Amino acid sequence: MDKLLEINHCRKRFGSTEVLTDLTLSVEESQVLSIIGPSGSGKSTLLRCATLLETMDGGDLIYMGRYAARGTSEGSVYAPPAELKKIKSMFGLVFQNFNLFPHYSVLKNICEAPVLVQKRDKAEVEAEAMDLLKQMGLEDKYNAYPCQLSGGQQQRVSIARALAMNPGILFFDEPTSALDPELTGEILRVIRQLAEKKMTMVIVTHEMNFARDVSDYVVFMNGGVIVEQGDPRDVIDHPTQERTIQFLRRLQDQ
Amino acid sequence: MKKLLATVLAVSMMLALVVSANADTFTMGIDPEYNPFSYMGDDGEYTGFDVRICKAACELLGWDFQIFGVNWDQKEMQLDNNECDCVWSGMTIKQSMIDKGYVISAPYYNSEQVLVVKADSGIASSADLAGKYVAVQLGTSGEALLNEDLADWTATFGQLNTCENFLICFTELEGNSVDAVFVDLPVAKAYVKDHEGLAIIDEDFGAEEYGILFRNGDDAKCAAIEDAVAQLVANGTYAAIAADYPDIVDNLVFLQAD
Amino acid sequence: MSLTTMIVKMSEGLGKTCSIFFLTLLFALPLGLIVALLRMSKNKIVSGITRVCISILRGTPLMLQLLAVTYGPFYLFGVSVSRNKLIPVVIAFSINYAAYFAEIYRGGIESMPVGQYEAAEVLGYSKFQCFIRIILPQVIKRILPSITNEVVTLVKDTSMAFTVSYQEMFTIGKQIANSQTSFVPFIVAGVFYFVFNAVVDFVMGRIEKKLNYYK
Repeated sequence: MDKLLEINHCRKRFGSTEVLTDLTLSVEESQVLSIIGPSGSGKSTLLRCATLLETMDGGDLIYMGRYAARGTSEGSVYAPPAELKKIKSMFGLVFQNFNLFPHYSVLKNICEAPVLVQKRDKAEVEAEAMDLLKQMGLEDKYNAYPCQLSGGQQQRVSIARALAMNPGILFFDEPTSALDPELTGEILRVIRQLAEKKMTMVIVTHEMNFARDVSDYVVFMNGGVIVEQGDPRDVIDHPTQERTIQFLRRLQDQ
Repeated sequence: MKKLLATVLAVSMMLALVVSANADTFTMGIDPEYNPFSYMGDDGEYTGFDVRICKAACELLGWDFQIFGVNWDQKEMQLDNNECDCVWSGMTIKQSMIDKGYVISAPYYNSEQVLVVKADSGIASSADLAGKYVAVQLGTSGEALLNEDLADWTATFGQLNTCENFLICFTELEGNSVDAVFVDLPVAKAYVKDHEGLAIIDEDFGAEEYGILFRNGDDAKCAAIEDAVAQLVANGTYAAIAADYPDIVDNLVFLQAD
Repeated sequence: MSLTTMIVKMSEGLGKTCSIFFLTLLFALPLGLIVALLRMSKNKIVSGITRVCISILRGTPLMLQLLAVTYGPFYLFGVSVSRNKLIPVVIAFSINYAAYFAEIYRGGIESMPVGQYEAAEVLGYSKFQCFIRIILPQVIKRILPSITNEVVTLVKDTSMAFTVSYQEMFTIGKQIANSQTSFVPFIVAGVFYFVFNAVVDFVMGRIEKKLNYYK
C-alpha cells in the first residue's frame, strides 16, 4: 500500500522541554489511525507538526513522497512556500474548537477556500458543498451562521469544510472534546461513515471505544514517544506495556 | 512630616483665600500676547506699557495688583464673571461696549491700523491687495474695521484669514501663506523691528481709541484708576515708562502737547 | 445680526468642518491599520520606532501637532506655508487620529483567537487573504464601539483647525461672537456639533446593527 504520510525521527522541543523525541510514524492509504495517550504525551503537538502548524526541530515530514521537511544535522529544513502550499492541499484538519469563521454563513465557510485557494468553479464547489451538508444531515442549515448552530452541528460543518478541499488525509484533533457528551455520537457517526468510504484519517482521541471500533491502527503515546502501536484490539484490549496498562486502567476507573 | 506639610499647605491655602478675597485686590485683565502693551517679558513676568502703568497706579492706590490673562475674544464675558476687574490691554473702545453699559475710561491712546507686507512683495498700497490673502487677529480693532467700516475693501481680498494671535498672522506672512497683515501700528513696529524684510504701509485706515474697560457700575474703580494715572502723568512716571516704548509714545493721548 | 444670518454664515464654514472630518477619516482609518501592523511587526526596530511615534502623537496636544505640521516646515526649512490650509490640517488630523486608531486596531487584532489564523492556514489561505477575509472583518466588528468614540471626538476636534486660522465653522462662530459680543454663535456651534454627532451616532449604530448578524 502507498504511504500517504511519513514522519521520520521527528523531534520537537518547547524551550528546554523535549515534547517529541525521535518519533517515527507512517499512515497508509485508507488507513484510520488513532492516537491515544494521556494529556501532555505530545499527541496534539505531533498532529500540529504534521499539519504544519508547528515546525519540527528535527526529522522528515513527507506527504505522498514529497518532502515538506527534510531532516538534516542542523534540524528540519522546510520546503519553499510554493511547495508547502501544494502539500497543504493534501490534508485537512478538524479542530477541537471547530474554528469556524463566525462572520461567514455555513455555505461560505465551506466554499470559500476551494474557490479562493484552489481556484475551483464556484457553482461546482457549492453543489459539492450541498452534497457534503446532506451527508452531515445539515442541508437545511447552509444559510445559517455558526453562532446559530449547536456544538455538534458546528463540528459537522467544520468536517464538511475540511472535506470540501478534497484532502488525501484528514486529521482530527480531539474532535469531540469540546462537545457535550450527548453530542459526541453524531460526530463519531460521521467519522465512521467516512471510514466506510475509505477516507484516510488520523484521529487524536480520548474515546477508547470509538478508537477500537473505527480504527485500523492505534498508537499509544506517552512522554513524547510511541510506547505501543498496532491493531486496536491488541493495543487497547491486550496492552503489553506497563504505561499503556496504567493509562487504560485509569480511564476505566473514571 | 507629612502631617506638618499638610498643615502648612492648608494654612497657606486659607491665607491665599483671605488675600484674594481682600477688597483691595485689583485684577488687571490683559491679552498676554500683545506686545508692547502687555506681554511676557524675558524674565517670564508679564510686562508692557499698560501693565507697568496699571502696576504703578495700584501702588499709588495701595491696591494689591494682580494679572489675569483673558481670552481676547471672550474678554467681556470674563470681565462680567469677575475673573478680572478691568480689561486694559491696548483695547479698542467699541460702540457696542458703550451700548451695553460698560464703564470705559477716557481714551489714552490713538490707535492706528497699518498693513505689514514683505518688503520685496511689490505691494505698495491698500489698492494692491485685490485678490491677495490678508491676515488679521481675531478680536482686534483691525478685524472689526475690516468686517465693518472697511468691508468693501475686504471684499476685494482673495481671502481674509482670522488668526488666533498676531504671531500666527506674522508667521503666515513670513511663510508666504498671506500677503499682508492688518494690525495695530505699535504691534507692527515692534515686530518689524525684530524681523528683517518686512515693511509697513501706513495709510489712513480709520482711527481707533484705546481705553480701559470696567464692569457696569464700577464707576468708582474707573475714577480711582483715572485719578491715579493722572497723578502718574503729573509726576513724570508716565512719561518715564512711556520712554521705554518709543513705538507708541507719539500716540499716547496724555503726552500730547496741548 | 439676525440669528438666520448667523446660522447662514456659520453653515458656510460647516462645509470646511465636514471636509476636515471626512478627509481625516478617509486617510486615518487605513493609515491607522498600517501603523497597527507596523506596531505589531516582529522586527523590533520597526515596532519600537512605531511605538515611540504613537506615544508622541498621543502624548502631545493636537493643537501643537497642527502648528508643527502647518508652520514647522517653514521654520525648519523655509518652505512656504500652504495657502490651502485644508492640506496641513488634514495631514495633522490624519496622523494624530491614525495613532489612536492604530492602538484600537491593535487591541482588536490581538484579541482574535489564534484558532482563526490556524483554521485559515490549514485551509491554505495566504497570510494576506487570511487577514483581509477572516481577521479584519471580525476585528472591525469588535472595535466599532471604540472607533465610534474617536469619530465623535473628531467632530468636536475639528474646531481646533482655528489654531492655524483655517476658517471652519467654529472659527466663523468665534468671529461673529466677537464682533457681535454675543454668546449666541457658540450656542449655534454647539447645536451644529450635537446634530453632526447625532448623525454620526445614527450611522455608526446602523453599521453596528448590520454587523450584528453573527456573534
